[in-house]
Amino acid sequence: MATLKEYETIDLFSNWDQKTQPIITLDNLKKWFPVSQQSILFSRVVANIKAVDGVNLFLNKGETLGLVGESGCGKSTTARVTVKLEEPTEGSVYFKGIDIFQPMSREEELAVKRQLQMVFQDPYSSLNPRRMVLDLIKEPFDIHYPDMLYEEKESRVLEILAKVGLEDYHALRYPHEFSGGQRQRLGIARALAIHPEVILLDEPVSALDVSVQAQILNLLHDLQKDFNLTFMFIAHDLSVIKHVSDRVAVMYLGKIMEMCPTGELFRKTAHPYSVSLLSAIPRPDPRIKMDRIILEGDVPSPINPPSGCPFHPRCYKAQEICSKVTPQLEELEPNHYVSCHFPEI
Amino acid sequence: MAQDKKILDLRNIYTYFYTESGVVEALDGVSFDVNYGEPVGIVGESGCGKTVTAHSTLRILPKNGKTVAGDVIYKGVNLLELPDLQMRRIRGKEIAMIFQDPMTSLNPIFKISDQMTEVIALHRKCNKKEALEIAIETLDLVGIPEAEKRITDYPHQFSGGMRQRILIARALALQPSLLIADEPTTALDVTIQAQVLEIIKEMQKKLGLAMMLITHNLGVVAETTKRVHIFYGGRVVESGLTEDIFLDPKHPYTYALFESIPSLEKDKTRLETIPGNVPRLINPPKGCRFHPRCKYATEICSRVRPPEFTFGKGRRVACHHFEELDLHIDLEALRESKKAVKEEA
Repeated sequence: MATLKEYETIDLFSNWDQKTQPIITLDNLKKWFPVSQQSILFSRVVANIKAVDGVNLFLNKGETLGLVGESGCGKSTTARVTVKLEEPTEGSVYFKGIDIFQPMSREEELAVKRQLQMVFQDPYSSLNPRRMVLDLIKEPFDIHYPDMLYEEKESRVLEILAKVGLEDYHALRYPHEFSGGQRQRLGIARALAIHPEVILLDEPVSALDVSVQAQILNLLHDLQKDFNLTFMFIAHDLSVIKHVSDRVAVMYLGKIMEMCPTGELFRKTAHPYSVSLLSAIPRPDPRIKMDRIILEGDVPSPINPPSGCPFHPRCYKAQEICSKVTPQLEELEPNHYVSCHFPEI
Repeated sequence: MAQDKKILDLRNIYTYFYTESGVVEALDGVSFDVNYGEPVGIVGESGCGKTVTAHSTLRILPKNGKTVAGDVIYKGVNLLELPDLQMRRIRGKEIAMIFQDPMTSLNPIFKISDQMTEVIALHRKCNKKEALEIAIETLDLVGIPEAEKRITDYPHQFSGGMRQRILIARALALQPSLLIADEPTTALDVTIQAQVLEIIKEMQKKLGLAMMLITHNLGVVAETTKRVHIFYGGRVVESGLTEDIFLDPKHPYTYALFESIPSLEKDKTRLETIPGNVPRLINPPKGCRFHPRCKYATEICSRVRPPEFTFGKGRRVACHHFEELDLHIDLEALRESKKAVKEEA
């Protein structure tokens, strides 16, 4: 079948140099959600939930970046801003060198969104239960290629279904007829339908059983090769992250703590938070007896994050400076970025 | 002699649920035991009967569920034959249970002190004042800071990890002999999970509790338990010492389960998968319930329920081909040779 390129009318990204520039760059990205108090007539903003608070990261073409962190650290919000589902409070997102939040026409906006797709966490609530699979997967074509013939859309749907390991007859079924793993396949098919370059996967396997999880992870691996995709893979499970990603970014309270090639995170862990996170994972091997670093207390509230380094109240290495000066994300070794005053390397 | 060691002995339990779409055979001849002071793990994927086992033991099944056959022998008494009134004295006082979701297990409109003293006063037959003292003492034990002050707080004022600690404290305050923990850390983040597991392990040792830990997380089982029972489709497929099972799984399902989890120790690009989905237990597969997904399945597997083979230190495996199967004839070598073949091709 012909590629979708022939439908492309505008060329936004001619200035992008694949070899030197990352495909996505987040520059000091902030997303704050206001908390307002309602009086009888007026409401006023009393505080901000600083979900994402100054994130810098980049994504190279063809790689998988794993974004890991505990619940509420801003992983999902980062992803939602990156695919333009939310407006950032501050900072910018560059996709192929273009600031995607600059004013642009409807055509240009669609051209950007065609290349940036997202797969959501919950395969049960992210598919409309009243629509047939055919319609669900056809929808991206309706939006992005309204001029395409119905027959072509249909055959493209069947093609994509086959790619994610489903059969033709599945197209005439409704979401409730599928198991969790199959629904996640549908979610992936929807994102993949219009051949995007980047897919953001928000906890795509955390709702699945281990045996099904392995199937989906293998599928994603194959699709990445077939379509030359770039993935941002969000998960809280470090062993999944280790399995899928080329590079890892560790997030805590809206900030990136450490970003480095996956192997290095495990061999040369630099940030005390990464160290404690790694040591907290229970290993499925009774022979391993670990000296565990157990963090005290809970993750602080993002409404009132600690001053200085957000991790300092729980950190085993914290000193006075940590509560005063916010450490910046610095490249300590080539490609190994850490934001800490006292890194382990 | 052997009889004296067992605190809980489940023999051939059959529990069915009667639903509109048919009879769900949730437990189909489950037998296992728990020794005094021993932490035992129950492992399996969702819908395999782990939680139903716990509920059948305590006789807290929903109205449409019924244990139709089998014996639950607790300290020599068959719980299934006890009158309701005596059963109520067993629940909580003798066998305590911690539920999966710390968010919904506490009543949001009562103070922690009320929720704890009520059970303590009832089961330990003391007045409210003494009960309050016991409550504060146990909260202190599980590491709630300033227990004396915080006991008058409401559940929403505590974080997830703290609530799980409160539930553990409430279970332990009655000095039970057996603790059933149903996925106690599944809803928690890894660093909090590490805290809670540490407390559970410490309490189990300190108080010499027998424990039944229900989980799908193999890492948690490996670290916490001495013996494991692997569940699949409402049956126990394999049981034995944790170390033996993890190092040398004998049932094809156990083996496949271990192979399908991404590991922090091994580097692999593809995961082994188990084809298909977890079976539904309305009209479950005949014969061995794993046979439709098993690569070693033969004709007999689809007809005859596999017998249990017993060997070694209390090791039991339910598989027809157990004796002829050698699951890991030096796995590494096998992988190497597979690789070599691929490269040649």
